[in-house]
Amino acid sequence: MKSMLGVCLGLTAAAAITATLWWGAPVAFAQQEEERPLFRVKVDMVVLTFTVTDSKGRYQTGLKPKDFRILEDGIVQKMNTFGEGNKPPVQVLEDGSTRPILAGGGTEAPPTPSGVDPRTDAFVGTNVFVLFDTSNYMYRGFVYASDAIADFIRGLDRADSVAVYTFSRNLSRAADLTRDRNEAIVGLRRAVAGDDAALYNCLLLALRDAAKVPGRKVIIVFSNGPDNASMVAPDDVRTVAEDEGIPIYVISTSDVNKDPISTNVFRRISTRTGGQVYFAKTWQRQVEAFESIRESLGNSYTVTYYPQPNPNEGFRKIDVQLVSDPGKKFRVRARPGYRPGREFE
Amino acid sequence: MRLSSFLVLGCVLAIGLAQAQDAVSRARQMESSGDTAGAARVLAEAAQAANASEASLAAVAEFLDRHGNSGARTAYEKLIGRTSDGARKRDALRRLVLLDLQAQDNAAAGRHLEQYRAAGGQDLPAALPSWSQSEAMPVIEIPGPVFSFSRMAALSPDLKPEELLPALARNIVTNGYQASSSQEALEQTEYLKLVFRYLSQARELEKLSGADKTIRIETCESKETAEILRILGFRMRGSCGTELILETMNASRAFLTIDSGFPLAELEQVLRTNRPFTYDYRPTRAPILYGAEYWLSSREKQSGEFIDTFMGDPALCRLYLGLSKLDRETAEELRKVVPAQRLRAFAHVLDFFGGMFLIREGKLAVPGGSRSAAAWTELAGVSPDQGAQFIERLLTRDDGWLSSYFDALSRIEGPTLDYLAEPERLKRFYAALRGRVTSPGPARPVFRSNTDLMLLTTRLRVDANGQPHIPGGVEVWRDLFVKHPHGKYDGKLTRLATTWKAPDDVLEALFALCRKAVENEPLKIFMAMSDLSRKRSAALEAATVDRLARQYRALAAQYPIFTEVPSLSDAAILNYLETAAEISSIRDQGVRANVAGTFQALVGLWQIFSRNEAIPSSAAEPALVSIVDSFGKLRNGKELFNAGVSGVRTLLKAAGASEQVSEQDYVLDLLAGTAKPGDAEAHQQIVQEMVRIFEGQKLISLKMLMDIADHLDALAKGEKLNPTLFSRLTTRLSELQLPRASLTGVEKNALSFGYWTEKHIEQQRKMNLRAVVERAGADAGKLDDVREDLAPTLRDTLVGLNYLYYAPPGAQLLRTNPLFVRSHDFLGVQGTNQTWRNTEVLGTGWPSSAGGRLVGSLAGMAYALAEAEQNFLIPSREQALIWGDLVPQMILSAKIPRWWQVTPAQVHWVGLHVRLGESLAAEAMLDPARRTWLGSVLGRQAAPARTSRVTELLSAGNLPRALENITVSELFLIAGDYVKNNKDGGVLVREIQRLAQASPDTVNYQAISRAFGTPKPTLTTSYRPELLHLRTFPTLMGYSSRIMAESWESSILYYVALADEMHLPPGRLNVAIPEWTQQTVERIFATHLEDWPALLRSLRVVGKETRDRKKDQQEKAAGGGA
Repeated sequence: MKSMLGVCLGLTAAAAITATLWWGAPVAFAQQEEERPLFRVKVDMVVLTFTVTDSKGRYQTGLKPKDFRILEDGIVQKMNTFGEGNKPPVQVLEDGSTRPILAGGGTEAPPTPSGVDPRTDAFVGTNVFVLFDTSNYMYRGFVYASDAIADFIRGLDRADSVAVYTFSRNLSRAADLTRDRNEAIVGLRRAVAGDDAALYNCLLLALRDAAKVPGRKVIIVFSNGPDNASMVAPDDVRTVAEDEGIPIYVISTSDVNKDPISTNVFRRISTRTGGQVYFAKTWQRQVEAFESIRESLGNSYTVTYYPQPNPNEGFRKIDVQLVSDPGKKFRVRARPGYRPGREFE
Repeated sequence: MRLSSFLVLGCVLAIGLAQAQDAVSRARQMESSGDTAGAARVLAEAAQAANASEASLAAVAEFLDRHGNSGARTAYEKLIGRTSDGARKRDALRRLVLLDLQAQDNAAAGRHLEQYRAAGGQDLPAALPSWSQSEAMPVIEIPGPVFSFSRMAALSPDLKPEELLPALARNIVTNGYQASSSQEALEQTEYLKLVFRYLSQARELEKLSGADKTIRIETCESKETAEILRILGFRMRGSCGTELILETMNASRAFLTIDSGFPLAELEQVLRTNRPFTYDYRPTRAPILYGAEYWLSSREKQSGEFIDTFMGDPALCRLYLGLSKLDRETAEELRKVVPAQRLRAFAHVLDFFGGMFLIREGKLAVPGGSRSAAAWTELAGVSPDQGAQFIERLLTRDDGWLSSYFDALSRIEGPTLDYLAEPERLKRFYAALRGRVTSPGPARPVFRSNTDLMLLTTRLRVDANGQPHIPGGVEVWRDLFVKHPHGKYDGKLTRLATTWKAPDDVLEALFALCRKAVENEPLKIFMAMSDLSRKRSAALEAATVDRLARQYRALAAQYPIFTEVPSLSDAAILNYLETAAEISSIRDQGVRANVAGTFQALVGLWQIFSRNEAIPSSAAEPALVSIVDSFGKLRNGKELFNAGVSGVRTLLKAAGASEQVSEQDYVLDLLAGTAKPGDAEAHQQIVQEMVRIFEGQKLISLKMLMDIADHLDALAKGEKLNPTLFSRLTTRLSELQLPRASLTGVEKNALSFGYWTEKHIEQQRKMNLRAVVERAGADAGKLDDVREDLAPTLRDTLVGLNYLYYAPPGAQLLRTNPLFVRSHDFLGVQGTNQTWRNTEVLGTGWPSSAGGRLVGSLAGMAYALAEAEQNFLIPSREQALIWGDLVPQMILSAKIPRWWQVTPAQVHWVGLHVRLGESLAAEAMLDPARRTWLGSVLGRQAAPARTSRVTELLSAGNLPRALENITVSELFLIAGDYVKNNKDGGVLVREIQRLAQASPDTVNYQAISRAFGTPKPTLTTSYRPELLHLRTFPTLMGYSSRIMAESWESSILYYVALADEMHLPPGRLNVAIPEWTQQTVERIFATHLEDWPALLRSLRVVGKETRDRKKDQQEKAAGGGA
């Protein structure tokens, strides 16, 4: 196979506008108390995306903020905004009622500690990063995969943005994040076949890019599974996704029983980040998988909140409770938690 | 009245003149102190004044010229308009002519040339020459656009048309064919099959494109629509209109469509909107040497298109590749004399070893010149005066041995060549190299297998007495061959060794060993020993060389440590070897890993501090001896911890730290490069990046460890327990998670290594120091024992500090895997002993590990870390992958040196040399004598074909293309040669000389080599940066392009010249060079492993982007100001 292929367009990632809170201002981070430079725990506004399904896997829509209770390490959180599917988010008031916050909504934006105005397109729709495996492992299904991804891009909600990245040994930014479907498809159709597969290295790089973008974002990995070139372990990448709140959806073109290690890893990284895994060997199954992801994006809820004071600098467990479901008939799928970031003082 | 007017006027003029002079001298002072931006401002203000003096105008013009500013031309124009001084005017006009040519403004150059001559200038021609374009080569046509063909054939689209076929030939030779499992013949690889399939599809599309070679689809319903979709392998889903979607119908065709970059999405869009689609489908026109007829047999001429025949015959491709490496005159001579069919049989030899052939007036230039001509005649059987026949003999004589010998000697010059080309010696060493059985020759494998020969001839040192340097003397080598430590190197040589008396005897044996295909240890030992003694003031003693030679197999990776400080004594070196042996003898593997890790990490820090002159050379040896001594006879972890703490204190003391400083902070300062930075912002930026990684790795600071150690002492004296201290440590360590806690049974079984590193991490996780201390109470003995628990933590901190220094820009691994440092495996996979071996990357591809890690000693950690990180770089261009062997060396060159000690004058000196080199190239377009001179200087570095190409391009008036073929280090050398021989050579030369006179200690070629050289661990057994000015090496068996990468010295010189142009203070180099390096790597678009022109192109792209960014910023600032 050719050894030097891959399109790269260079993402000019938008600067993250997530607000930042500094908890316990004079308290320096951990061990470095008397030394320079100081680190502090940095808690961005948490963006939490989740879905609610019944026992048959049917999405439950139309739920309201007051139907949910968000806990972080058991501490009840105060919702800042609430959104369903691709509808514009609404501000959640003290009493649990809501009011529109987007421009034209006739109300003021909810206050944010850093003064960031959330009335922006960034909070409408989902930023979808498609990570397309173009390594040798995908050689045979390359064109069908390309077709399936193109279909998926065309079918995305108007409010969604999409970026197309391809990878073999290195990452290639085939199309930057855009709402122009044609632009994304042009990038996709220029993807070229490569050689080795460094799935987890490239997933990490895609996550780093996605983390810079404000609003809701997901990564969809389209891969055959094997990785023969990565230096990072899947669970280290999964940790980054958890911390950044980016669900990972995986469409594996491999047989579920053929590669048990990849299968388990795919299950783990998708479940732990609030995403889902699909094993879709045929083109038809791939299309169905994409349809399911689209449905999941359209039927998910997105909540933002600024965490209540919490001394825990390690992993913070998130629990989304459905107040209106005492019988626990419904299932909430969300990431299990995150680790707050650390930054220089 | 009149008198008073004159007086007033005189006073005004005098004041103006004084002000101008003041501005000029102020600017000069600012420039000298490194504030070039300030100097530029002052001069610009002075020049803009209404009464600007001639002196200030001249100062501005020359300042801008010296700093490569494009405004220099305007400034010179202004000066010319004002000055009445004839000499000054001539000087300015001369510079203008050359700057015009560099700016490709030939009209202005012609105008200024006329003015120059009118002003009395004599040394340039009266008018611009009528530059003749070089003779156009015949061309062949390849179906489809060049863009698509390049994608399919893995060729860089930046290639010039004449480079297309040689590059294709190389790819066919290296990637096009493979051994067949079922038959003797070679079979096509998938790569080549796809190229052929693409050509077939391209031909179908070409038919569709009609006479004007444009594919036209008028509407969605046209009959051509169905045809093009059939060819492309797609079909329409949905009818014409907005619902239409193109989907795969024929997977093979569709793959080619996408892989070749056909604008499918655009076609789809046009069909959806029912607009016409047009696509330029003109064929690729590739110039071909001698025309297509020359290459084909009469049968082949009948059989179809040239490109199919060409790609279908790897021997033909090899021949094409070989001939394309010759300079035009040599190739033509060879073509006239030797039939293509005969050359084809020896194409592999011509390809690998023909690049240095040079025929002029029918005669071949031989290494050693006329003195050696007779010996070469004897060896080849034909006189070099019969150039083509001589080459034919070289190629056909002994399966390539004589050619490889000729090639290796052609690449060197100076005393080493004088020595080796002595006629009798020339024949003797050839006989040794050739041996009795000549097959297989050195051109048979995929890479040149004469690596050892090239390294030996390149690195052999000849002493002042004209004799080769034999480290330790002949006796050492005789003993080594006779009483070899690991079995005989060669039976015959072992017998002969007893008779050795002279250096030539040793060298003869080394030449004989060069023909061996197996690992050539004696030669490697010889080169390492030569390198160790190269910079030393006192030669190594014979006993030391003997010991080093005998321990080479086990400890070779450690030897670069001894070249960091050339004054290191024999005793210190032997002491190190002794301690290494002691550590190796520790039976408990966990303890051995901790001792080796702590020891190597301290020595690693010593290396860094010594290299950066943070530890003065006088204090370097005592510090190393102190560390080494304290690790000699360790019995337990407690002693290890104490040795580690004492090592840190020794290093800090040697670096001049006061006792009050925070150990952690001071070490970080030193790792950033200096404790007294000239540029605090850059320094802080580097420190912050290191702290980020330190935090990401959850390491324990030195200060905390020292505090705990001190507190244990205090507890023994009855002080109260400080629980905070211990809880901080516990909290920190509790954050550690064993790698992949959620491993399944299958995954665990897939693990093949890592037992000891996991145990090491687990030991720290489980440590409850506070409980241990509480149990110890005030018992001094028990409290002392607590230190044992801290030893693994101290090891990780010290190892981590080494990682911080060498972390490449971005450092994804160190940011993502919090156990990366702790996972460093000092033992290696079960059954291997890698404690002292070179650092390796292990665990790539996740199923075999919990992420990759580094294994072995810390000796080669900088390279291994760069190797591990390189795949996180994101190529900015399609088809570009990160270049495996080159990129780690580039990262190494940006991370090992620090430029805090560099002076503004040194930066400017490099910038001036590069600009002078370019200016001399411009002058060579006008002046044939200058062109000849430039060719002769360039020829010392470049192969004849490239040298001829450059002079051809210059005589054709094509400066940009000529400069694309000259590396930055060659420009530097050209300028250096010119300065040496021309005392009065204009503004650039004057400034170079002025700087050298003003700071003779720091502004000279040796100091510049130290300041802006690159580390070359493989070529010189040293990480100390230096410039060697070697010819760029080809790819070599066993090293791929690693040696080529080490011989590449242009990047840093280019960046320094760029920094000079950008007016960056020297301290900023510490931040800018790693950033520019990353950008350069991401922009390289190479076709093959010797494609250094691609690297040069990438450097220039980064330079242009940097300049454009600065220009944008300035314009924005000016706009904002307005």
